[in-house]
Amino acid sequence: MNKILTIAFTEYGNAVRSKAFIIGLLAMPLMMGLMIAIPQLTKDKVDVSDRAVAIVDFSGEIVGVLESRALMRNENEIFSSAAEGEERKQIQPKFNIERVDTTRASREEHVLQLSDRVRSGELFAFVLIDENVLDSSGAEGKTAYHTRTPTFQMLPSWLEMVINERVQSVRFEQEGLDQTLVERITKWSRLERLGLASRSESGEVEEAKKENRIATFAIPAVSMFLLFMMVMSSAPALLNGVLEEKMQKIVEFLVSSVTPFQLMMGKLLGAMLVSLTLSILYLSSATYIAWDNGFLDLIPTHLFFWFFVFLILAILIFGSMFLAIGATCNEIQDAQSLMFPAMLMVMVPVMTWMPIIQSPTGTFARWMSLFPPATPMLMMLRMAVPPGLPLWEVLLGVCLAVGFTLLIVLAAGKIFRIGILSQGQNASFGRMLKWLLSK
Amino acid sequence: MNAVEISGVSKSFGSHTAVSDLDLSVPEGSVYGFIGPNGSGKTTTIRMILHIIHPDKGTIEVMGKAGTRAANDRIGYLPEERGLYKKMTVNRLLLYYATIKCMERKDAKEQAEAWLERMGLIEWKTRKIEALSKGMAQKVQFIATVISRPKLVILDEPFSGLDPVNLDVIRQAVVALKEQGTTVIFSTHDMEMAERMCDSIFMIYRGKKVLDGTLSQIQQQYGEDTIRMSIEGDRGTLNRLPGVMGVRDFGQYQELRFSGDPQVIMKQLMESVSVQSFAITKPSLHDIFVRIASPKEINE
Repeated sequence: MNKILTIAFTEYGNAVRSKAFIIGLLAMPLMMGLMIAIPQLTKDKVDVSDRAVAIVDFSGEIVGVLESRALMRNENEIFSSAAEGEERKQIQPKFNIERVDTTRASREEHVLQLSDRVRSGELFAFVLIDENVLDSSGAEGKTAYHTRTPTFQMLPSWLEMVINERVQSVRFEQEGLDQTLVERITKWSRLERLGLASRSESGEVEEAKKENRIATFAIPAVSMFLLFMMVMSSAPALLNGVLEEKMQKIVEFLVSSVTPFQLMMGKLLGAMLVSLTLSILYLSSATYIAWDNGFLDLIPTHLFFWFFVFLILAILIFGSMFLAIGATCNEIQDAQSLMFPAMLMVMVPVMTWMPIIQSPTGTFARWMSLFPPATPMLMMLRMAVPPGLPLWEVLLGVCLAVGFTLLIVLAAGKIFRIGILSQGQNASFGRMLKWLLSK
Repeated sequence: MNAVEISGVSKSFGSHTAVSDLDLSVPEGSVYGFIGPNGSGKTTTIRMILHIIHPDKGTIEVMGKAGTRAANDRIGYLPEERGLYKKMTVNRLLLYYATIKCMERKDAKEQAEAWLERMGLIEWKTRKIEALSKGMAQKVQFIATVISRPKLVILDEPFSGLDPVNLDVIRQAVVALKEQGTTVIFSTHDMEMAERMCDSIFMIYRGKKVLDGTLSQIQQQYGEDTIRMSIEGDRGTLNRLPGVMGVRDFGQYQELRFSGDPQVIMKQLMESVSVQSFAITKPSLHDIFVRIASPKEINE
């Protein structure tokens, strides 16, 4: 055991002293920070150059409204809200409407002429509004938007909104309906999402709480993806470590001092310590942020315990797999092909988490989370969705995962023992199986 | 007591027999040389002594323990194919290798300092392995092998790739280990080094033991069948002499393997060339090695 601990602490020391660890440690918060900060920093950096748009309105009823609404928008709606005394800053482009005389040419000629003007840069886009666009009888006319910059969404969205408001208004008038009245009576009744009510020990009724998206969605997703991240940062690193020891001929020296199983367990334990360190740092930070923002009580305390149970299982399962693959390979190219199925198994929870989080107690969710390689991440996901899972289900998952872990560690140990000293043999699953079944 | 006792050991890999029915006793405190051509079974034998691989047949007893790795903490092993963790510092690496041999950290630190001082590497102790020259790295690997004060040291090609200065440093360290009572097994292709350093020599060829004993015992088996001479004149004459079975020309001197009366050879030689020196000797280890494992033998 002392040797396993010595290897584990050395592996841990090597890992936490490496630049990769520091980068890995900072990568997630840095990425999250950048994801929040960059949109904030760049929101004022949009291209605010004027967008000229020509309107060919065959109905004659809409272009006027577009002109007036554009004028209003350009004067009032395209600026950031300025503090008192501060000069307001333009944050959106102006839309300049150009009315086109529909009588001067046919529709096709308009399209060709205006297309040329867009190509030359004189116009940003042009719109053709059919004559019968206001017709509510069913023969619905169309509105065509032409541009060579289809990725710019602000202008077509605004045009669509203004045109439809105008169309609706005219149609209401045509049908003799009071638009305000129609809007009032067709107003949707809002669905309030709530949990369940309960009776306290003192007999008082505790009202159902409003559904909180942080509790129902963010916490389960973050828990699962943190586990996924820990596996992804540890297991491939284990493979690389073993491969390096084989390629650098270090391993023969090591196995003269320790058994291959001790070496493998030491490495697994070292990887586990690294993952625990990272997880503790991340969870501490997340807990502080939750406390600072007043939603700490949304995180059930027992989730922390289960997170670490599942983290240990996940590292043992995937770490063993990757170590066995590393021991089988002689060079990095061999590892890439053998790694694919193992990587696929790591990815199963990521590929299935959406249907599972929407129906965490469903049959699919239950069976998927009882599939041992997926158990750590998917059981964590399911139990983090309020109100959680029955304990028997969690324990069954843990028992199956522990059993599977023992099998995979023993199998990996055997492959590792033979593979670690093999040189010059083609790495393949067939060879791994042969070693596994050998005496 | 023997440090290593190998009895009737065989090991095969698929259809290839690496070691066949091997018996060998390595006495405690001796320096035992393992020689043999590449692929003859030396490394397999060493790996079996270390219980890295297990024999198919027979028993191996190491320092009184049979069939277990129990003695491994008292064995220092320098493999032929060397490698060190490039990103580790010299100090950390030595501490790691010492502590997996169950050595106390404090003791390991003191030993590391002492060995680094002795090998002239003390100022490199905080540097990463990747910063060391090849010779320095080999010395670090040697220290890692002996830092835990092993009772048995197994060195697989310890001198290969070393310059004469570093070679001498390692050679002196091996001699010092022997003086402290450590049993040293080393495999080598350098026959002169084996002759000079080993108390006993074991040669394995095609998985079978072909030589085992002290140098003089081995040479005794071959008798005084070698003439070492220096001549001026046509060296082709040597092959035509009666009783000559082989000639090796080293430039400065020539060696003849013969049977029969050396006086006849000398007499005939003096008739055709000028003889500068003439001595009847035992065959060198190199000569014996080549006789056993010559290309003709290997290709048989």
